[in-house]
Amino acid sequence: MTSALIYLILMTWRNRLVTRFKRLKQPKYLLGAVVGGLYFYFYFYRFLFRDRGGNPKGGFQDSDLALIELIGAAILCLIVLSFWFFPSKRAALTFSEAEVAFLFPAPISRRTLIHFKLLRSQLAILITVFFLALLSAGAGSWRLTLMHAGGYWVALSILSLHSLGASLERTRLLDRGLTNWGRRFIVLSLVLGVGVWVALWTRQTLPPLTDADTASAKSIISYGKALLTSGPLLYVLAPFRLMVKPRFAPDLISFLLALWPALLLMLLHYFWVIRSNVAFEEASLEASQKLAERVAAARAGNWRAAKKNQKAARAPFKLRPLGSPVIALLWKNLIGAGSILSARFLIVMLAIAFGVSMGMRGGMGKSGGPVAIAMMAAALAVWSLLFGPQVLRQDFRREVPQMDMLKVLPMPGWQIALGQILTPVVLLSGVQWLLVLVAMIFATQIETTKLPWELILGIGGSIALLLPCLNLVSLLIPNAAVLLFPSWFQTGKDAPHGIEATGQRIIFALGQFLALGLSIVPAAGVFLIFFFTFRLVLPVWVVLPIAALATALGLLITAGFGVYFLGKLFDRFDLSNETTA
Amino acid sequence: MIQVTGLTKLYGEFVALRGLTMTVSAGGVLGLVGPNGAGKTTTLRCLAGIIPPSQGTVLICGHDIHREPVAAKRQLAFFTDEPRLFDYLTVWQHLNFVARIYQVAEWESIGRALIEELELADKADKLPGELSRGMKQKLVIACGLLHSPQVIFFDEPLTGLDPMGIRRMKDSILKRAREGAAVIISSHLLHLVEEICSHLLILKGGQMVAHGTIDEIRQRFAADGGTKLEEIFFRATDASPPPAVSSLPQS
Repeated sequence: MTSALIYLILMTWRNRLVTRFKRLKQPKYLLGAVVGGLYFYFYFYRFLFRDRGGNPKGGFQDSDLALIELIGAAILCLIVLSFWFFPSKRAALTFSEAEVAFLFPAPISRRTLIHFKLLRSQLAILITVFFLALLSAGAGSWRLTLMHAGGYWVALSILSLHSLGASLERTRLLDRGLTNWGRRFIVLSLVLGVGVWVALWTRQTLPPLTDADTASAKSIISYGKALLTSGPLLYVLAPFRLMVKPRFAPDLISFLLALWPALLLMLLHYFWVIRSNVAFEEASLEASQKLAERVAAARAGNWRAAKKNQKAARAPFKLRPLGSPVIALLWKNLIGAGSILSARFLIVMLAIAFGVSMGMRGGMGKSGGPVAIAMMAAALAVWSLLFGPQVLRQDFRREVPQMDMLKVLPMPGWQIALGQILTPVVLLSGVQWLLVLVAMIFATQIETTKLPWELILGIGGSIALLLPCLNLVSLLIPNAAVLLFPSWFQTGKDAPHGIEATGQRIIFALGQFLALGLSIVPAAGVFLIFFFTFRLVLPVWVVLPIAALATALGLLITAGFGVYFLGKLFDRFDLSNETTA
Repeated sequence: MIQVTGLTKLYGEFVALRGLTMTVSAGGVLGLVGPNGAGKTTTLRCLAGIIPPSQGTVLICGHDIHREPVAAKRQLAFFTDEPRLFDYLTVWQHLNFVARIYQVAEWESIGRALIEELELADKADKLPGELSRGMKQKLVIACGLLHSPQVIFFDEPLTGLDPMGIRRMKDSILKRAREGAAVIISSHLLHLVEEICSHLLILKGGQMVAHGTIDEIRQRFAADGGTKLEEIFFRATDASPPPAVSSLPQS
């Protein structure tokens, strides 16, 4: 029976690969694969092909390595504790809907199903190990790379087994009457017990914590090292150290010596898992349905719906029944972006921004803190201008599966295009205005250059005026791309994945940069003409907004033509070419 | 209400629909039937302005769907076989959105009456993800009927409905027709067509093979005029009916 399941796993992967290779006959996938391949090649180039000094410790000293190993063990310990503390549902081994339909009614034992699940998780682990090993390979030889891969594999496999075993054990405890809160109480008591033990030991053994110990990062690390390497935590973390030790082994002998206890631990986990005889089918059935819905939503590009707990978002404003229907599309898409717009999110972001800014101001005083913050805010605004349109997709890109719904709306194409494109413009502009405001506030604090506040206001106001227009122009390209090459935005099982998808995204991003660049050139010309003309009679801080206003009008005219063109594209967009094939 | 002249749709060189000409007047219910791949969905999508026709004209309440799409679409509602909804809008938000698009000033009272009629009132704040398939279908219907369309297209309207839902859907279609709407229903369920349609259009391979009242078509394909619609369908489309169960080889 297991051989049939192995066959299923192998054939699934083989067919998936074959399909993806066959698709390379189509230019859109081939081009995407070439560009994506080049991107990955150059990304990993420095890790794979650069001259390696062969330093197996990556420049760390033995004591540092021991500390890193302990920190790794502590992180694993926290992850394992979370397996026992947080989950509240019964054990649900995740199967696809097809697997549930074929395997659950089949004459297959529960143990075999667990084996199937373990085998499939191994494939995911091996892919993760491959990339982790690539990233960590720069410090040493190929042998060291393989040792790192082995270390990652053991640690991740044990973690995966423990996750599964814990979920089965939790269910057994539930069946025996121990509630979720009861289990959490026990876990919390254990953690508190260990905490008290560590605190008592620290008080008796280590010197009391002084201001000097917290004065710098180095002294804090030094104190932490003493805590982790010589007290009870050393013993508490012992099993977790076994898990991470192979990864940090500097040579082959050390690796082999570290590997066998880890393998033994893995074997113990394996027996623990396969000997669990817990009914997981019902919960798995429900989980598989939810997973299928989330996968379908994610493949359709609707990440909001793909989230586990989707909640209705409040409307951003009251939509009256009469008036421009463009606003209805904006209203609808703003609701779709609800999680970004929620008041709680904005308050948290503002609080963080305020806290960080105040902290940096207080910490740096006159030593350039305001400059750093103002520059950081400005850099983020530029970044959002360039990459924001790729991140915020509450426009045609998200609505490809619902295009026929848009097609029946009694609106001219340009109105639908404008309504669709407005949401990311509004969201991006809002964020950018906030960043400009932060940059302006901190620019007034710069004491070295002593910029007059009116000039700062002029510059900030001008930028704030230009940004929405630039966003509008910038967003025309990805939206035009959807309507011109809809198959590149295909959703569902045929949607591009992996390298091809990365390559396609890079191509579109480059196209967007090019269009933005081309639209900026004439706009910059307009700006300069107005600036130097009015500069003769007016002060700079007055001239800047005037020039910006003229430029914004120019950009709006460009964008207007763009929206009209987008509308024409939408009118001509033949859904049948995409839905039949 | 619906005037179609020489409607043709090509997918590359493949002819999905060839020279369809027909009329559906106010209060008429036309059943669109045909085997798989006959062009039923393509026809409905062309009529609703979702896909452009390759040739021919479609007039909805006198407006050419291709030349005056906004005016034409304002008069119609299209119900797909799969309920298509925005999964981030609640039931009530869907109605609010549709009201603004179609400029329905009194939408709140109409919407409330519709969701009560369709037993959705207690689901007003729910997202589509929290509704059953039948509930989603009802929401689509509420959205489609909010602006009192004069022309209604149904693509497999009974898919996924329970017996009560089927009964209500039939009643709703007939009610709209009685109120003067022109209705076209595409369906494989011949008993549904027989029960509620006044006219029938049979498509095969993208071509119209029969069009008329149910009685006219009965007269044409059956000498006695009393043959079941299923039998007429097989005769009109030159398809052999599947063998009876008793004649199947025993395993």
